[in-house]
Order: sequence, then C-alpha cells, then structure tokens
Amino acid sequence: MRNLLWLQGGACGGNTLSMLNASDPDVLEFLHQHEARFLWHPSLSPECGGDLKRLLNSILEARLELHVFLFEGSVITGPNGTGQYNMFAGKPMMHWVREIAKRAKYVVAVGDCASFGGIPAADPNPTQSTGLQYHRKEAGGFLGKDFRSSSGLPVINLSGCPVHPEWLFTTLSMILEERITQGDLDDFNRPKIFYSTTTQFGCPRQPYFTFKIASKELGHREGCLYFELGCRGSYTRSPCNNILWNNQSSKTRVGTPCMGCTEFDFPTFNFFRTEKNRSGIPKRLPLGVSRGSYITLSAIARGAAPQYLVRPLIKREGNWIE
Amino acid sequence: MNERVISPLNRVEGDLDLKVIFEGRKVVKAYPMSRLFRGIEVILKGKYPMDSLVITPRICGICGGSHLLSAAKSLDMAYGAKVPPNAVRLRNVLTLAEMGQNDVRHTYLMFMIDSVNRKYEKLPFYRDMVLRWAPYVGTSYKQAVVWSKRYAEIYAIFGGQWPHGSAMVPGGITAEPFPNDVVKAKGIIRQITAEFLERTVLGGPLDQFLELESVEDLEQWAKDYPEGDVSKVWNYGQSMGWHRIGKGSQFLMSYGHVNVPEDYDPANSREKLVFSRGILDLNSWDRFEVDPNNVLEFVAHSFYTYDLGDRIGLNPFMGQTNPLPPNGKGKYTFTKTFRYKLKDRYVAPEVGALSMLVVAGNRLMTDLVKRFGTNVLAREVARFVRLALIHELILNNLDTYDFNGPTYIKPQERQFAMGYGLVEASRGSLGHWIVVEDGKIENYQVVTPTQINMGPEDPEGNPSHLTMALVGTEVEDLSNPIEVAHVVRSHDACMVCNVHVLDGGKEKLAMRL
Repeated sequence: MRNLLWLQGGACGGNTLSMLNASDPDVLEFLHQHEARFLWHPSLSPECGGDLKRLLNSILEARLELHVFLFEGSVITGPNGTGQYNMFAGKPMMHWVREIAKRAKYVVAVGDCASFGGIPAADPNPTQSTGLQYHRKEAGGFLGKDFRSSSGLPVINLSGCPVHPEWLFTTLSMILEERITQGDLDDFNRPKIFYSTTTQFGCPRQPYFTFKIASKELGHREGCLYFELGCRGSYTRSPCNNILWNNQSSKTRVGTPCMGCTEFDFPTFNFFRTEKNRSGIPKRLPLGVSRGSYITLSAIARGAAPQYLVRPLIKREGNWIE
Repeated sequence: MNERVISPLNRVEGDLDLKVIFEGRKVVKAYPMSRLFRGIEVILKGKYPMDSLVITPRICGICGGSHLLSAAKSLDMAYGAKVPPNAVRLRNVLTLAEMGQNDVRHTYLMFMIDSVNRKYEKLPFYRDMVLRWAPYVGTSYKQAVVWSKRYAEIYAIFGGQWPHGSAMVPGGITAEPFPNDVVKAKGIIRQITAEFLERTVLGGPLDQFLELESVEDLEQWAKDYPEGDVSKVWNYGQSMGWHRIGKGSQFLMSYGHVNVPEDYDPANSREKLVFSRGILDLNSWDRFEVDPNNVLEFVAHSFYTYDLGDRIGLNPFMGQTNPLPPNGKGKYTFTKTFRYKLKDRYVAPEVGALSMLVVAGNRLMTDLVKRFGTNVLAREVARFVRLALIHELILNNLDTYDFNGPTYIKPQERQFAMGYGLVEASRGSLGHWIVVEDGKIENYQVVTPTQINMGPEDPEGNPSHLTMALVGTEVEDLSNPIEVAHVVRSHDACMVCNVHVLDGGKEKLAMRL
C-alpha cells in the first residue's frame, strides 16, 4: 500500500472537489487499482486534531513512508515571512510543507496556486504567497529551484484552476507505476502530455479564429472570443477542449473566454476584454506568432473567410459576429 | 475548567481551529478560529469590475457558483443590467446543480462518516451505520461518490466546467444552449433521481416525499420506506440524541434562492424568489424583510482593524479589509463578526439549509423546528429535503427554457456605480458588495455564510450562532468530544478545522473521530 498525503495551504479546495469529479476511474477506484491510500486528506479523512499531528510527526521522523505529497493552494509566507496567515495543526503551514517535502518520494503541486502562486500571489500579494517551486515565472518559489524529492524529480506541477481530475490521476498513475521521468515534464515541470498544446486545440470556434471572425458580445455559439472578449485560449497551454470538463464541456464551448488558468501568470486580470495597441492589434498574440506575420495573416485570412461564417448560422439575424 | 483546542477540525472547507472550554463535561465557552487569510478583497481593489467574475468563484471550491452569481448580481445592479428570463433560468439551474452536489457531498462525505465514531459502537444499529456510511467503503458513501459528480455535469453543460466556471455575467449568461443540451441535462437529473435519490437517499418515490408536511408524515415515511437514508438518519439520529444538541441562535436568516425568470430585478431587495428572503424570530415566529443596509461587520475580535476604531460596525459598502498579524490582543480569528440590525438590536442569525427552508415556509421543516427547535438532526433532515426540492426545480427551470429567447443582453458598463448581490449559497446567505470608481473596483466586500454562523463575538461580547449552538453541549467522553464535531459539521462549515485538546494551556489530548 503506497501512502499519499494531501494538504491545503492558501486554497479554496477547488482541486479537491475537482478530484471528486473524476470518473473512470473515480477516486475510490483509482486508489484501489493503484494500491494507494490517503494517509490524510482534509476533506475526506475522519482523523483530526492530535491524531493528525501524530501522523504528520511519524512522517517527519521517517517512521511512516510517504510516497506522494500532494499540496493544494499557495504557500503563504506572510506576514513578514512568518507564515502566520496560514496556521495548521499548531504551526505555520509553510513549516509543515518544508519538512514533509523532504520526506516524500514525489511532491506534486495540485493546481495553479501550488504551482505558481495563483490568485493569492496576485498583485499586491497581501499574504506573501508563492508556489512550491515557482513564483510566477521564476524557478525557486518556496522550496527553491534546486529542490528534488527523493525520487530525484523536482516538484511536478499540475497547474490549472482547478486541475482536471484526468490530468491529476493520469500523472499520479505514472508516478505510482514508477514510469515518470524528467523527460516527461516541460520547462515548468508540467507533464508534457497535458501542457504542450494550447486550449484552442479542439475548440469548436477554431474556424472562426482561423478566418479572423470575431464574436463581439457574449451569449453566442458562433464567432471567436479572442478578438474582442479576451479569450486566452490561443496562448494558454491546456487540453481543456480535448479532455472535456465534467465529461461535458469547456469554457469556450459555453461562450466563456479562456482565462489562462494553467499558466504561471494567472490571474492576468482585465478579463472579458481584449487589450489592444493603438493600431487595433491584440497586445497578446497567439503563441509563437510575430506581430508582422499576425498582421499579414489576418489580412489574408479575413479576405478568404467563407461567407457562411460571417453571419449567424442558426439565428435569423444579429450583428454580434464580424 | 478544562480548555480544549481542536486544531484542525477538518471536513469543513477552509481552516478552522476550535477552542472549547468545558466545565465538567459541558461546554461553557467556544471560540471558532479561522486561521487562514488569503486577501481576496485586497487583491480585487483597483482591478476591472468584471474581474470579480473570475476571482471570486475561486474563494471557495465547493460553492464557487454561488460566488459567481453574487458577483454577477452585484454587477447587474451596478450596471443596471436587464437580464433575460432564459439567463435567469440557467443561473437557477447552475446554482441548484451546485447545491445538489454540495448537499450530497456534505451529508455523506463530511457529516455522516462521524456516525461510525466509537461512541456509538455499542448501539444495536452500529453495524448498519458502518455498512452504509463508513468512509471509502460504506454503501451509501460509495453511491455518493458516484452520483454527486453528476450534478457537476449539469453545471458544466451550461457553465463550461465545475468548479470555477465564469459563465454568469452581468446581463445574463455566456452560453447559448441548444435543445440537445437541455435534453441531456434533464436526462442526467432524472437518472440521479431514479438511481440515487429515490433508491439510496429517500428510499421511496420523490413525488410522495415532497408531499410530507409534518413530523407525523416523516414518521410515516420512515415506517413505509425504512431503507432510505433519510429514514435511517431520522430514526438513528433520535436514538443518538442528535435532535437534542446544537440549538443556537433564535433567529433564522435566508437571502432567498431561485429567481422568478420573468420578474428579475437585482436592484430590488424584495425581489421575487421561490425560496423567499427574510429573517425569522423563533421566539415569536415573527418574520421580517431583509434590508441589505442593515448588514454590519465588526472586527473587535478579528485580525483586522478599521480606520475609525474597532468598536464600530461597517456596512459592506463602506467595509474595510486591513489585516493584522494574527497575534493581536483580544483578537483571535480572520473571520469578521456579522450582525443584522433589526430595529434597535444587533442580531446574530443562523444560516444554512435549515434556515433557508424554514424562512421560506417549508411545512415539514417548520413543523420539525416548532416541535424540536433547531438542532443537529433538523439540519441534516433539511439538507435531504432541500435536495429533493432541487431535483424538481432543476427540471422546472429546464422545462420552461425558451429556445427563441436570448441568454444575454449586453449592459452598458458604468464608470461610477455600486451594487450588491444577495444569494443563498449551499451553506447559507452570501453577499457581495462592489463599489466602482473610475471604471475600477474601489471596494469589494464578501460576506460569507460561514462568517455569519462562525464569527467571533461582537464588541458587546454577544456570541455568534455557532458559539451559542456549542455552549451547553454535553459530551459523554471528554477524550472523544464527537458531539462538538456534530454541531460544527451540521453547519456545512466552509473551513478546514481541527480539534486539539488543551488542558491548563498544555496540549495533552486530541479528539479522535
């Protein structure tokens, strides 16, 4: 039986709830299949108080082997480096994190806050929050850029607000089957299989993006959300439109712009609108596209746009599409 | 006297430590202590108002949809938005689906697993409780894991994802569903009804359960359908004395829930709702309207300070969030104190499923409270009753969906504006207050249900609801104060809390659940 431990820092619990949404396998089946168990989980475990402290101390004293340490939420170091904005079982959570991370064979940052600092670390970062091994874009974070768990791997980051349960359980299965390597991880130590392509891959609005046809207002199925409504899907790496949420959908499928929540800079704010420069070009361009080629490509694409796409497809009328 | 700190008391969302002082085996004082500060209100200041739709759902992983609705309603009011009936229907469906998910998970994953506590080992029905409700292995527990996520699927069909979608916006909703979406969502809720709600939770037909109007009716149900968890909880709960613990505030409050689609007006604090808004005095059964201007927050015992001194109360429109390091004198929690000014007094109400149903006049829950008062068992029954109602309401809102109508009407953004959004979240009354200046957020205040229930005492020393509910609770075994945990967890608390036990300032004993 392999031991997992899950703790929450500056967290909302969203990753925990997302994990409970897992299906095929669900959380109980996953644990059973992989001969793993939660030593403790804040929302699932019966133990609290002193029982929990004894358990945590057994890990610290190496009397109990810890296979995977999962951490949800930012590491809160405020105020003034004391960590007292987040007390847990009698001491600042950050002290537990540092000591437990040393004992774990693998450390996994579950969600954007644990990976990069996320919302609590957003300007003005009132709690001095940081991620486990990154602060925003910078390697280091709370544990330092040289940290390695006893497996030799750095903190494995599963960004996303929240993480999708399939990304979580697939990664955990690779860990528990001892087949994960540094080569499986990208520059931010995220599993490449989930964080290589952008959110746009699989988005039903992709043809509208290709031909630069904008949706000018919310509430419609047609048109691309990038040009006016602040969609971050063309420069955010996630499989949200290929591995659907709750087996059903995704933000862009229900007309909500992608907010970029798998990236180190989430939240970037100014959501629901596209910031543009003086010549009307979006400030953030699709991943890997230069300003010059964007301008050239747009002119050609718009000129070549199929006529059926520049007017409403289902509704009789409307001027929201352009 | 014997002081115990339970730290953490888990299976609540967030961080809660609980300090309890006993005389003999009876609780004489209780101090709920929130030990986590994330500074969301501070982060929102100076940002674009629409950013609240992305940031505030992330306050809470289990009721993010309620935060989103509060944020959207605040902006509806601030921008003077018109919201088409279809959008109101879908907002109803989204928040009801989230609430269904919550009620199942809270009941089975967070509350019922305490029934396998060693206190109950000698009871003749202990084996039955373990087989049903034990964590990871109980039959009902496993069913709850399987079926609770299906409610989230309904949310995702119209909201993109759960948790943390941002599909509700001022002026409506971002989605434009097709008939197949509605057909699918109805299929899912019907399947949950047949295969989980009727089979496991109720043990009998939903239509018939919804007709129960009195304690006698519930007793009869428990006889007719003894295998349903609601029947088991009702019978076993009484044998375990759950109806005798956890009486707290004598005021029940609800901001109300489920808007009437054709009659949506966010600026009207008396907006028309299926579950009505109000505050109820249980001593007289007098019912009062809720006026948002009468909401006040105090920080006398919280790790915050106000510019004008810590004895005053501030309405959230004028609210301040200036955090202090958590070691101030007389201050012990990151939760502010909520008070509702009712005529000339400051009331500390109870909020949650029980309050929501009784304030709305639900006959079964009203009769139950009239007979037994408020208590742990009533709160659990209320969550079952609400779940049954949710199923019916989701179907109603989907049935009346109009495919020819819009889901969104673009509002004109305003540079200077104010708004609030009052909603009934899964765990009780939730309000957001926004002040916009120069097109930016000048002030954003969030007043959560857990804060209403579990805040510290006000400057006059009057306790909030949870403290009232804990004081007087008698525990059978000081080394296993499970009764205290029942009272806390019956509230669907939104904090991760821990229970340590202190004696003479030195920790010696922990609570084992």
